[in-house]
Amino acid sequence: MKKIKLPKWKYKGLFIGLLIVIIYYWALTGTDTSPTTFAKGLPFMADFLRRMFPPDISNLGRFLLKAIETLQMAIVGSTIGALIALPLSFLAARNIMPNKFIYHSIRTIFDVCRGINEIVWGLIFVSMVGLGPFPGVLALAAHVTGALGRYFSESIETVDPEMIKAVISTGANKIQVIARGIFPQVKPLFINYTLYYLENNFRAATVLGLVGAGGIGMELITSMRLFRNREVLTILIIMILMVMAIDRFSAYIRKKIVRVESLE
Amino acid sequence: MIKIENLSHTYKNRSEEAVNNVNLHIKKGESVVIIGSSGSGKSTLLKCINRLLEPTSGKILINGEDIINSKKKKAEKIRGSIGMIFQNFNLIERETVLSNALNGRLRFNRTLKSVFGRFSKEDYAITENNLKIVGLYDDRNERVANLSGGQKQRVAIARALSQKPDIILADEPVSNLDPKLMKEIMDLLKSICEEKGITLVTSLHFLDFAKRYGSRIIGMREGKVVFDGKPEELTEKDIVDIYGKTKDWYLYGKTGF
Repeated sequence: MKKIKLPKWKYKGLFIGLLIVIIYYWALTGTDTSPTTFAKGLPFMADFLRRMFPPDISNLGRFLLKAIETLQMAIVGSTIGALIALPLSFLAARNIMPNKFIYHSIRTIFDVCRGINEIVWGLIFVSMVGLGPFPGVLALAAHVTGALGRYFSESIETVDPEMIKAVISTGANKIQVIARGIFPQVKPLFINYTLYYLENNFRAATVLGLVGAGGIGMELITSMRLFRNREVLTILIIMILMVMAIDRFSAYIRKKIVRVESLE
Repeated sequence: MIKIENLSHTYKNRSEEAVNNVNLHIKKGESVVIIGSSGSGKSTLLKCINRLLEPTSGKILINGEDIINSKKKKAEKIRGSIGMIFQNFNLIERETVLSNALNGRLRFNRTLKSVFGRFSKEDYAITENNLKIVGLYDDRNERVANLSGGQKQRVAIARALSQKPDIILADEPVSNLDPKLMKEIMDLLKSICEEKGITLVTSLHFLDFAKRYGSRIIGMREGKVVFDGKPEELTEKDIVDIYGKTKDWYLYGKTGF
């Protein structure tokens, strides 16, 4: 990493302090951030919260079904993304892909997929296949392909070339070397990243409904538009509880994998 | 068996040749030990023989077939008839003993099958038998990471044997082991190769080891072969030629046996 060279004169501290003040002034005025506006808004917030209570559970069944749909979207979207990223990531790893053009093209595809947010992907796919959970699944898959592809190929680049040499020396062909020499070394990392993205995707899927791409977010936006604040609270509680549950579950499994790995 | 003609190898970004115009003829069943100090080119020479390294120039014939100028498929086929054992074991640490040894069977298997880790009953039978030979059959489901250095090198020997090789190349196979294990592993390797008629080419640091396990000794210095003969023909002058000053080679002379 390059070291940043700081100017060496007496007023260095003063200069840096002034710079920080300027940056914050610039950023705060640009965003209309104001504590007084915030304070003035507190009664409205209180009013909003008051109108949310008590939570309305008359449609609880439908909301829970939508929550389950959100989970299904996360599962299918993550799996599709991981399955696309898996073979592509080998083509995007510098140490096994001699062709620079292919390597750079796939890396660029990964960056584009990853750079576009799930919500934006959701908008694109809703206009392509219509409303519902399917465009949501596609949106998650597209983003995850980019993210996992990037992480997968970077982990492939860290494998020990010496270990691979032994498999090459047996007379195995390139695909055999990848499957038996490289893949076993990156397998735990791949599982870990995929689980992490499953967790991430559930969180992303809860808001995909805002653009009509299925899941519980769709119920949230409907209830909000109809000013059914007590339903909004029910939905928010379901979302929070489910995100917590999925995070715990995923963390538990990933910890188990890490523990198995560290035992070696 | 192995015929090396005018072989040279220069590493990228280096001017001096790691292997410089080497000519060798190794016969079937020989146990050849290559000696020399670090950087003498013995490891480079070994890696050129099965084309893990691409030589800069020269020819290598394995059973009459040119491995260097063959197409990829053919070169892989020839390489498969040569087993290799490495100084740092180079095993897949998180895989089991059996899984590592089975990699020796890859060359007999179709690509698609081996991608999914499928091996035939015969592959299993041969590999398990080789694990018995090296004394690791009972540990076959153990992860390699849990093994000692000596055991790891036994796994590597089993993997090489599963290739049904004509030749085994051993690149400083005992450099990472303690003296007792060094002897054990070399004894095992030598006896297996003698029994199965496998040509063994080993690179070793230590002189007394080389004399003990080689039926022929090749001394290398600065990429050139400076001695080639029987162990008993090795004179003090030859040793100085190989290792340089007497003070230096004395360090290599003794391992405690």
